[in-house]
This record gives sequence, C-alpha cells and structure tokens, in this order.
Amino acid sequence: MTREEFCGSVRSRLLAHEAKVLLRVAMGPDFERPVELTGRDILQRGEQLAERFDLPKKRSVVLLLLPHSPEMFLLPLGLLLAGHIPAILAWPTNRVDPEKYQRNLVHQLSHLPADLLITVPQLAENLASSLPYGTCGLELERGSSYEKLFLGVNARGRSEGKKLGTISPAPDVDALFLQFSGGTTGAQKAIVVTTAMLTKQLELLGDALKFTDADSLTSWLPMYHDMGLIACYWMPLWHGASSLQMAANDWVINPELLLKYIARYQSTFCWLPNFSFAYLSRRREFMQEEYRLDSVRAWINCSEPVRLGSMMEFAQTFAEWGVGRKSLQTSYAMAETVFAITQSELGKETECVTRKSVEQEGPGYTERAFELIDDVYISSGKALADTELKIVAADGSICAETVAGEIYVRNPCLFSGYWGVEGFQAHTLTDGWHATGDYGFLKGPELFVIGRFKDIVIVGGNNIFPEDVEEVVNTIEGIYPGRVVAFGVEDREFGTQGLAIVAEMKNDSTGVTAIELEGAIRKLVLSTIGTAPRYVAIVPQRWIVKSTAGKISRKETQERFVRERLSIA
Amino acid sequence: MTLDRALIRIAAMEAASQIARRPIHDGQRLISSGLIDSLSVLRLISLLETKLNVSIPPETLQPDDFDDVDLIVETVERVAKPRG
Repeated sequence: MTREEFCGSVRSRLLAHEAKVLLRVAMGPDFERPVELTGRDILQRGEQLAERFDLPKKRSVVLLLLPHSPEMFLLPLGLLLAGHIPAILAWPTNRVDPEKYQRNLVHQLSHLPADLLITVPQLAENLASSLPYGTCGLELERGSSYEKLFLGVNARGRSEGKKLGTISPAPDVDALFLQFSGGTTGAQKAIVVTTAMLTKQLELLGDALKFTDADSLTSWLPMYHDMGLIACYWMPLWHGASSLQMAANDWVINPELLLKYIARYQSTFCWLPNFSFAYLSRRREFMQEEYRLDSVRAWINCSEPVRLGSMMEFAQTFAEWGVGRKSLQTSYAMAETVFAITQSELGKETECVTRKSVEQEGPGYTERAFELIDDVYISSGKALADTELKIVAADGSICAETVAGEIYVRNPCLFSGYWGVEGFQAHTLTDGWHATGDYGFLKGPELFVIGRFKDIVIVGGNNIFPEDVEEVVNTIEGIYPGRVVAFGVEDREFGTQGLAIVAEMKNDSTGVTAIELEGAIRKLVLSTIGTAPRYVAIVPQRWIVKSTAGKISRKETQERFVRERLSIA
Repeated sequence: MTLDRALIRIAAMEAASQIARRPIHDGQRLISSGLIDSLSVLRLISLLETKLNVSIPPETLQPDDFDDVDLIVETVERVAKPRG
C-alpha cells in the first residue's frame, strides 16, 4: 500500500462510519459531556485544521506540541492526509517553571531538522525568534488556561542551528509520521513509521485481538506515547471502533473517571501500564460510585514490566464489578516495531512461571541494568503473526527454553531508521533481527520479559533516558561536571520505578549548600525532563562508583545508593 | 466540611513531610519544585484521607491543588467529605 492509498483508505474508513461517534475527548471541568466526533467530523475538522498552516513543501516535518484537546487528536491526522509528516512532542504533564521549560525547548527543538512547530499561540510567539524553522500558534477551542502559563515569558537564547530552507530533507522512506521513542534533551530522536509498518501492525494486532468496529476503548494515554498513539488512537480509527480519550493529568488525580467512562460507553478494551493496575486497586475504597465493568474483553497490561501481583490485586479488587481474571491480558511492545510484538490470548488466563524454574543467566551475562525479582513471572503472550522471537546469550548462542537472555525480534513492522539531529539515519539490522535490549525467556511460544540491559528508567510507563537526566543536571553550578548518575529504583507499591539521581558536589563550591543543589536539581529535572525525581542524593566527590575500566557504573552506583542511602534519602 | 482548620494543617504538614521524606515548612512548594513526583501526589492524597478519615473526591482537582501546605488545607476544606 502506498502512502496515497493509505490516505484514501483512512478517508473511506472514516466515511464508512460517517455518523458514528468514533472519538470522544473528555476535558475538565465538564467531564460529563465529552466532545463527540463522528467519522465525518474527524475527517473534515482534521483536514480543515491542517489547511490553516502554510507549509513550505509536501512531506514537511511538522512538530506538534499541544495539550490534551480535540485538536491534539484531529490535527495529526489532517496533516498526514495533507501529505505531511507529523511528530507529536510531549506536553508537560506537571506544573513546570515556564522559563526553564522554554529554554529547554529551544535547546531541544533547535537541533531537530523540522519545517514547522505548531503549538499554543503564546508559546509559538515566545519561541518564534529562537528556532531555525517557523512556529505557528493554534488557537484551541478550550485553551485559554494554557496561554496564561507562557504569558510574558522570554524564551531567552537563540538557536545556533540551521535556517529554514537549509534543513535536512524529510526521510526519503515512505514516512507517515514520526514517533519519539524517548529522549527529552539534545538526544531527542524519533522512529520513522512508514505506511507498510503501520498497516501491518494494525492488521496483526487487530487479528490477535479480533478487534472490530463493534469494539470501543477508553484511554488516558497521551498521543506522544506509542501505546496512546497506536493502540488507543490508530487501532480504533482504522477499525471503525470508538474511543474515549481523557488527559493523563485527569486520570492521575481522578482514576475513577476511567472506570466511569468504561461503564458508560461499554468499552471492550483498556490498555494500561502496570502501575495503573496497582493504583486503581488502591483507590477503590475512595471511589464514589460502583460501576459495571463486564463489557471489557481485555485489560491489557503493557509498556512497563508486567507484574503478577499488580494484576491479581486488580482482579480481586474489582471482581465484584465484573473484572474476571481472564480479562486481564498482557502485551510486549516498543516503538521500534510501531507497537505490539506479542499479545496474550484473549479469554484465557495468562501463563505464569515461577522464578526458581528459570535459569536466570544465559551464558556470559554477568550484569544486568534492571531485573524483576518477583517470585512468579507472568507471560507477555505469544508473538504476533509474521513475528519471530529468539533469546540470545552473550556469546551469541541461542538460549534454550526457560533460559534467560536478550530478546531479539524480527517482523514486518520493524523500523528502518531514526530521524534526529542528523536527519534520517538508517538503522542496520543483522539478518533483519533487532536486539531489543530487553531481558527475558521463552517457554513454548510464550514470551516472558523479566528485565532489561538498556539503561532506561520506566516511570509509570514513561521512558526516561538516564543520559538525558545526567546531561541536564551536569549544567548546574556546584555539581562536579560529569559526576552525575541517574537510575531507576523499584516502587513496589505501584509496581513501577521512581527516578533517582546521585550527584557529586564540588569540593570547592562556595556559597551553595547541598540542600540548595538538591532543590535546583529537582526543579530543573521537572522542567526539562517532565518527571520529578523521587530521590536526589548530593554526595561528596568520588562517591559515585566507577568500573575497573574507569567508567562511571550506573549499576554499581545504584546498588550503593540502595544499600547506603535509600533509607535516609 | 467542618473539620478544624488547625487539625487539617497539622495533618497536611505531617503527610507532606512523610511523602517528601523531610520536614516541610510553610510556603514550601511540593510539586512545582520537583520535591514530590506525580505518583507521590497520589500517596499524599491517600495519606490525607487516612489521617483525617475523609474522602477527597477528585473531580475538580489538579496536582497544583497540593503544591504547598496552604493549598492542601484549602483543597481539603473545599472538597473533603467525611467517610462513612
């Protein structure tokens, strides 16, 4: 299918449901009346929104930085149908320091080879003189509160980057859109999602879930997240199913809303990261009403390591409301394959394996960045059709069943390259296999993901790259340059991770205290990375652990932190 | 809500200090300073509910409503309901 054929198919699919409400966008303060959009509305309003922007050429790369709103769901589609390549950036979910946030945006965005940034008008105006490409404001129907945040804030700092017209060309592959896989500072890079990758993913996942236009889903996952964008936006749109979208912030503060919408709209699917299962369970006793949740065919746990404890707690807590153990499902996914690689079988209980029955280390592995220490592991399901998995030991040999090693994947949805500072960079695969950086094992066809080698911290399903955090913290005066380490610490209560930062203070830093440094780190990391650190430890010089090769060791520093500092951090 | 304001303030101070793992003083920003992360806001709400034996219905709340002790007190006074 070519890009043009894909766009034609999207139009036909939307018009085939021209009078059906396909998209509901719930926004405060009136949560009772979500904005409702039929197939025809989505198509017309999306295309009308895109027409407002005068783009320099076909296949323009358009960055979108917008808060949760109907426009956030309509504009990417409109731009795509108009022949452009949208890329959705993360809108800050917390209250941040607007000045620091804008300064970081300039740093982050001026290095990206884009053609246009579309954001809220005040922010567009503030950033206009600082970026090497154009900025345009989009007036949101309900967006005045966002404007106030950036009023009177100077972006400060001009880009040293390229001027409009000399930017790197758009990816010469058949790109539909770009999907950021993480990275919030200079390291920002995106997966190039092509027509072939997306259509195959929607077909494979649709088949595995027997997903039809009779289905519907409720989601709080943001559009910059692969689970939000692919599972909760493209899946229903492509298959003619309806979805209700609520903001992550609204969900965090009021998780009951999710259940209320599921019951009201008889949702059949709900994708959630693991911590959400634990969190919903804990909030049950404070919920105001009771809901019938029998309509849900699958609660799919994905985007961070799946934990049996979180799922069982959820099943027990909500059994009276109609949540059956067999409706709790799992999936293993990553942006590099557009989204899902595996999916558990609907209508069946997911398989479990005890930790002691797994050979924890394939040949040659001596260190792991992160490993689950649960007594029982839960399967992430079977590979989707046309998808191959293998578990590889450090010496390159293939691990036997229930022997853990690195997970490799090969399927038609695999990405061919990244788009970032250097423009489009092809990604080389060996015989078509992608090394995921995740740690797991196979038992029969079932994949169990039990950790990862890559240094990513996953906080509530959100990927945070330690390098980004360290780069930001290194800019703070009083911190010993290069002597900062970020890592994840287990959050057993919610089945996720908290972000921890250890920073060495300069011996000769005068006039600044450790408490002041800690405060500066917390504020800066929240403004730039978008996540507040759970722990910040200011330590004396030479506290951070180095490997025998003289390199800073995140793993060993993490172990030392947990051992010596966690109780007093 | 007829809870005593001084009582709410003590509970807010204790809960915030417990979640932030340090003594919290008046006016100290909790969320916008990065002192507590979004999951800890949830713990803070749960802790307040337990300490005050109230339910804090979140329909109209934002994380900003818990950004310092004064805001927490105002928020509890505004929305908390006795549990029963």
